[in-house]
Amino acid sequence: MIERTFLLRHPSVMVFIALLALFTIGATVLSEGFGIGLISTSFVKTLGKTLCLCLIAIAMDLVWGYCGILSLGHFAFFGLGGYMIGMWLMYERTKSIVVEQLDAAALPPTPDEVREAIGSQIFGVVGGSDIPVIWMFADSLIIQLALVVLVPGLLALVFGWLAFRSRVTGVYLSILTQAMTLALSLYLFQNDSGLRGNNGLSGLQNIPGAETISQDVVSIWFLWASAFALGAGYLFAAWMVSGKFGNVVRGIRDDEARVRFLGYNVEAYKLVVFTVTAVIAGIAGALYYPQAGIINPAEIAPIASIYLAVWVAIGGRGRLYGAVIGAALVSLVSTWFTSGQAPDIPLGFYTIEWVDWWLVLLGFGFVLVTLFAPQGLGGLVDALVRNRQAVAAPPTAPVKPAEKASEAT
Amino acid sequence: MHRGIGLIMVRLFVALAIACLGAIGTAHAQTGPIQAVLQENRADVERASRRTVQPVLDAIVATGSERVPLFLERWRDRVVYQRDADGLFFLVEDEDADPMRLIDIDTGEIAGEVPEDDMSQLRPNSGVRGVIATALVQFQLSDPDPERRAAGLTAIERDPEASHLTALRASIEREADPALLARKMRLERLLTATFDEDEAARVAAIESFAGDIAVDVRATLNPLLATRTRAAETLPDNANIARVLEPGTDIAIDDAYAMLVTADLAPALIDADTRDAALIANIDNGRVAGVDVATLDSNAARDAAYAALAETGAVPPAVTPDERAAAVADHVFFETYNEPSQAVTTAASETLRAIESRVGAYRVVDLGLDGLSLASIYFLAAIGLAITFGVMGVINMAHGEFIMIGAYTGFVVQQLVPNYTASIVIALPLAFAIAFLAGVALERLVIRHLMHRPLETLLATFGISIALQQLAKNIFGTQARPLTAPEWLDGAWSLNDVVSISYIRIAIFALAVIFFVLLWFILNRTRLGLEVRAVTQNARMAASMGISPDRVNMLTFGLGSGIAGIAGVAIGLYAQVTSELGASYIVQSFMTVVVGGVGNIWGTLAGAGMIGSLQKIIEWFNPANTLAAQTYMIIFIIIFIQFRPKGIFALRGRAAGD
Repeated sequence: MIERTFLLRHPSVMVFIALLALFTIGATVLSEGFGIGLISTSFVKTLGKTLCLCLIAIAMDLVWGYCGILSLGHFAFFGLGGYMIGMWLMYERTKSIVVEQLDAAALPPTPDEVREAIGSQIFGVVGGSDIPVIWMFADSLIIQLALVVLVPGLLALVFGWLAFRSRVTGVYLSILTQAMTLALSLYLFQNDSGLRGNNGLSGLQNIPGAETISQDVVSIWFLWASAFALGAGYLFAAWMVSGKFGNVVRGIRDDEARVRFLGYNVEAYKLVVFTVTAVIAGIAGALYYPQAGIINPAEIAPIASIYLAVWVAIGGRGRLYGAVIGAALVSLVSTWFTSGQAPDIPLGFYTIEWVDWWLVLLGFGFVLVTLFAPQGLGGLVDALVRNRQAVAAPPTAPVKPAEKASEAT
Repeated sequence: MHRGIGLIMVRLFVALAIACLGAIGTAHAQTGPIQAVLQENRADVERASRRTVQPVLDAIVATGSERVPLFLERWRDRVVYQRDADGLFFLVEDEDADPMRLIDIDTGEIAGEVPEDDMSQLRPNSGVRGVIATALVQFQLSDPDPERRAAGLTAIERDPEASHLTALRASIEREADPALLARKMRLERLLTATFDEDEAARVAAIESFAGDIAVDVRATLNPLLATRTRAAETLPDNANIARVLEPGTDIAIDDAYAMLVTADLAPALIDADTRDAALIANIDNGRVAGVDVATLDSNAARDAAYAALAETGAVPPAVTPDERAAAVADHVFFETYNEPSQAVTTAASETLRAIESRVGAYRVVDLGLDGLSLASIYFLAAIGLAITFGVMGVINMAHGEFIMIGAYTGFVVQQLVPNYTASIVIALPLAFAIAFLAGVALERLVIRHLMHRPLETLLATFGISIALQQLAKNIFGTQARPLTAPEWLDGAWSLNDVVSISYIRIAIFALAVIFFVLLWFILNRTRLGLEVRAVTQNARMAASMGISPDRVNMLTFGLGSGIAGIAGVAIGLYAQVTSELGASYIVQSFMTVVVGGVGNIWGTLAGAGMIGSLQKIIEWFNPANTLAAQTYMIIFIIIFIQFRPKGIFALRGRAAGD
């Protein structure tokens, strides 16, 4: 009931979900697994991964566009979510292989033998055979799924509590979150971190118990799951920013001190937003990495989180669809350019090869967006909608355009 | 007939006389003492082996001939030849000449010319040559040429042997050169500590090294304390026991039992693999000793099956834990020194302990120097950032790329100016100028338009950063480019064997000091500095006083960027120049600024000092793992920010933020 009235009050959310459903059905029909096979399985995976990136972009938009916290560390939560599900995937898959091997032996395997074989199978590459303590729940899908939510959530809670209570704000906080993700990736790069160092976790595209099912089909399953998560995330985020809570959060973004003087516990609001978005990021990561097939510490290097901020900024922060547009557009275009599909431009004296020049274009293009279109692409959509509504009917302003997301300096 | 016999007799006589003459000639050539020894041991000389050559060498040395060292050297260098006709050995005047002009070994006189084909070269293998070189040492030590004496000492230091001691002692009395004398005396003490027969002399020599932190002393004393772990039923009386090991505390029970097994004092354990192999070998129709194989899926079940198998006599019984414990309890485990003399080991361990504590103290000094040099790099990298952040409140994510620009400027200058000293002298101001211009351009084109939007400035400068990085990659390629330091910066200044620091790091330290002083002067003693401070504290008020904040911002940004360019040259001198050079320092620079506090060069100094020394200290505790060191450092900084959110030197005024 609440949902219905909520949806009726926010038609843009319905539009988004309808478009998402249309997209998913379209991709399914065109796929190799369920449809006419017009698009390849690897492209289905790219689409599914893009949906996950859109989901984390929504999280980023919540924390930055609505709450004004420029977090440069949300990919740490994304990566942690991926690691948590990756542990189960890798452990169970290795276990099924190991049990098969040991069945050929003369004696039935003891539990110790199975564990040792799994350990040397997984950790042989970093010179170990013991299974670290942090893998103690790796054989349980339910617990690892819970950890997908709990580990990023707890890290965000502790980090956020420490940072917000000492009133670290603005660029200081950005740098601090960047330091957090750097520290985490450096830690995971070590061989004795228990997560296979720079090898990371691999073979994640193989789903234990579904080995016989083709990747054509599995990729569609994950596309559906990602689309569902994105839809649910969008709905949740829209609901979260629509009510009184959303107003307070926006108020914190625009003038933190004033909201505090009004009697709100600013730190608690920030902490909630920070933690919730970390959880969303973790879920997005848990859906992303089985489609990518591999996760390693380089994925959570500071640069990844900065790109996330770039997507949201280009898409237009302070509006959820802006984040989705930005993430989808920039990540897909980036794939197009860097995979060598974009045609090179011969200038006679020099040929522009996009593999080399794409980042230059992105960097300067991003500067131009910041300078001349601070509302991003979403701002253009808003302008269009507003113009038409101004002609047709009085404005209802589905999602309030963001003001300058700035602190006093 | 008689006549015929007479003729034969005459012929015989002549032949005999000639033979006798020949024999006399040969005997004459053999008169030299070295040649005599060589002929006596001809087989061992021709096919010398490492094991058999020593007695020959001893005999040669025993001749006392003054030509022994020359001969040994030639032998070592493979320029001794043997005449095929009579087996005599000769030196040659010119190895490449044909015919060869032979030189008598003992007299040094020319002994005729022989075609090269009629001579065989002696080709001692490397083992033999090593033995010869050892025998040569005693001659080198007394050589009139000081350089050769020094070379002889170096040879002993590298590979000391008991036999060197006598030769060394003999040469000390005749040593005239004071420096070499000191070296010889020191080496004599080192050799005495290890090789002297007299225990008291050794102890005295060892104790004479008290407090000497040189590496060679530790390299001499440590082998004296080498131990071996042994097991026995009772402690032997004659052994020099280092310590007795208590099973369970000093040595694991498993290890102790394994030692007993190795020493044949106890039966071998049946480990899991042996047990499983035995079980598999005795599978009979799906059953082992009456147990169904399918049930053997736990260690307990397998142990039980093995016990049942042992009862049938098919396999030796397993050692029970009780038996194992009893066996270990019945024996003693101890470490013995390889060195039999207890007085020596006691003296060595006490001396070594004193030395180690001194070494520890010097290590701390060395660590301090390391930290200082790292701190000066961080200071150079971060000070520009701190100034721009302090004055304008903007974080410049492209700061690392200005460092990169400086480093590449240095690289390009070195391509054009081949003289390294001149190129560095040109590169430093040029790097400053180019980075200054780049900074001013960035400020004019981008940052000015994003005033009061710090988060957007951060992201926009990040966009610049990725674009510049990729541009550098496109221009200079991905491979690392060297920036070579001039020769006078090669090497290191070392106080002793523990404390040393490379000249490049000293130069960087000097550079950091110069810029600290320079900036302090600019900010506190010049008109520009006054204006900068005014804008930092209250830009609007400063503007109403006639200061142009716009101009101040531009100059400050240029200044900060220019210093980053200088830092780039400095960093490039000891690290490779790549497009990621700046990016790898940027987070550390941010940390330095955040910890130190903004807009204050003292704060940056404190921040750099703290982060530099902290990183070195953490690396010291965990030297193998620099990744962990960085992780812990970042965590420490996050915690530090809890207590001083605005850094060590908090700034008051507008730039202090909210």
